[in-house]
Amino acid sequence: MTVLAAVNQTALGAFGIVLAVTLLITFWASRRTRTATDFWAAGRGISAPQNGLAIAGDYMSAASFLGIGGLIFLFGFDGFLYAVGFIVAFLTVLFLLAERMRNSGKFTIADTLAFRLRQGPARTAAALGTLSVVAFYLIAQMVGAGVLIQALVGIDFSLAVIITGAFMLCYVVFGGMLATTWVQIVKAVLMLATGVALTVLVLNRIGWNPVDLFNRAVDKSPKGHKFLEPGLRFTNPIDTVSLGIGLVLGTAGLPHILMRFFTVPDAKAARKSVMWATALIGSFYLMTIALGLGARAILGSGGEAAAGKGGNLAVPVLAQELGGGAGTTGGDLVLAIVAAVAFATILAVVAGLVISASGAVAHDVWSNVVRRGRDSEREEVWVAKIAAFAIGAVAIGVAIVGGAGLNVSFMVGLAFAVAASANFPSLLLALTWRRFNTAGAVTGVLIGVISSVGLILLSPTVWPGPDSQGSPFALENPAIVSVPLGFIGCWLGTMLGRSEDGERSFDELRVRSELGLGAEEPTAAGPASRDPRPTREEEPAVPAGAR
Amino acid sequence: MASRPAIDWGAAVRTPEFQELVRAKRRWVVGACAFFFTWYFGFVLLAGYAESFMGRSIYQGFTVGYALALSQFAMTWFLCAWYLRKASREWDPLRDRARRRALELSRPGTDSSPMGISRPSGNGAVEHEEVAR
Repeated sequence: MTVLAAVNQTALGAFGIVLAVTLLITFWASRRTRTATDFWAAGRGISAPQNGLAIAGDYMSAASFLGIGGLIFLFGFDGFLYAVGFIVAFLTVLFLLAERMRNSGKFTIADTLAFRLRQGPARTAAALGTLSVVAFYLIAQMVGAGVLIQALVGIDFSLAVIITGAFMLCYVVFGGMLATTWVQIVKAVLMLATGVALTVLVLNRIGWNPVDLFNRAVDKSPKGHKFLEPGLRFTNPIDTVSLGIGLVLGTAGLPHILMRFFTVPDAKAARKSVMWATALIGSFYLMTIALGLGARAILGSGGEAAAGKGGNLAVPVLAQELGGGAGTTGGDLVLAIVAAVAFATILAVVAGLVISASGAVAHDVWSNVVRRGRDSEREEVWVAKIAAFAIGAVAIGVAIVGGAGLNVSFMVGLAFAVAASANFPSLLLALTWRRFNTAGAVTGVLIGVISSVGLILLSPTVWPGPDSQGSPFALENPAIVSVPLGFIGCWLGTMLGRSEDGERSFDELRVRSELGLGAEEPTAAGPASRDPRPTREEEPAVPAGAR
Repeated sequence: MASRPAIDWGAAVRTPEFQELVRAKRRWVVGACAFFFTWYFGFVLLAGYAESFMGRSIYQGFTVGYALALSQFAMTWFLCAWYLRKASREWDPLRDRARRRALELSRPGTDSSPMGISRPSGNGAVEHEEVAR
């Protein structure tokens, strides 16, 4: 990227500011993180608007910030299909899971999934589902970080990956969920502000008529009017539907997103935080239209080389152009800001992923399976920190060895497919189907993981090399096959396994998840005790008779 | 396992109050899910099979496809807001009622441990309870 090499110093300065702010947050948070509830759930003292921002920061990775705009720039309408799936997905989360998870769980999705099942096998299966999703998503983000930072700042790929990993571990190990949450909040604010600023600059350039944007983009596209039609990216309609299934159901199986509902004081705050999150995330995705079409209208086909293979650099190049062009002070400054925001975006997402993985290892496997609940809370948190360190180290290693050659969007797609096929069916059935048992959970998760990973390995993206013909499985997105297989796995296992009378019954799970009886309370040591909790004040918990 | 709360879960599920809450919620959620699945996958199917229809201009070059895509955003926001309104106006009162009923059904004498669930206090709120790990 010769165009971009000149901005090294400005971009480095902006990176330095981002890192300094996040380190201050971590230092502040580290003094408020003592118990396991502090470490994984920030003392359950995050308010609904804060959690909505944090969900936005956790959910929108660089694939959203730069990826969707880039895909719209390259493929027009098909790029926007991702944004539509990503936002509609929150309805599944809100209607089926958010409040019930908050009421019945403690730190991880396994708390709900394994609630009434045999702890050993059910928690192990849930941890496998979580770790598979996190592994693919984390490596994708690390590789993305390396590629982006190398292109935008000129730091070597391996060094960029190591820096990203080191800061991610610093937030999680020292500041736990409180630091992770505030890094995500800061990142969401930065990302939304940048989106608004770039959208205003684009509209200013084309004369404030949004409809003009469509016409100008068509004029500048070699595809002509086809640029506004579907079909430039996805030629097989079944593949498009399969992508939709993966996005809409996958979000409801992403462990780092579901974990965020444990950080709020109660179920009311959980559902309000989804409202905040959809408002913020939806607003950003609407702006990706302006960024993607704006990049096409303003940069034209000449921008394609600079935008890179996946179009990921289209938005930074557009930003530079809007700031005044390459080599100008304004252009360099805007580019540096966009680069720093992209960096903050990745840091916030990887921190959320690592803390959810540490929960799967320490809370689910170590504390509840290996030690059978006999360990102290102190030990649990220590194991979590060691686990976070190990997971981070492995992710850094794989990202460096796999290198820039790993296809980022393919890895993210895989993470959503695994989440939709393994985590979502077993979670939903655990909450709604009385007969569901341990064997069903284990087979469901296993078949979900194996089928989604297996079908991707057999798909045209991988078999036996990118873009090859004649792969055994014709679809790029496996969800249309692997999600039903995940459900069938749950059903088959349940039918073949024996019904069990666990210590906790389905009735207990239902009463707890619907009524919030015995739901985890915010801890006294958490920030909740110092901050007034607006969510509680707005809707005082008065009995029905008093209204 | 820490202490077990003293609620008779089976009896709590069978109370008419709990059944009313669950039925009211299910009725709305099933309907809303059916609607958004239809609207969303209808859109995706059109994107897959009706490419030129999606590219048709409805206003000076603004196309059917983008209009339908934007309608998905509007639907998401609308259904979220509707769910929140339903929840605070209808389901929360039902839930509070079912909750008080469930607590009344608690087996007497088993909640004497300091970790056990507390009785409903004056304002009907549940205080706290140690959840088994």
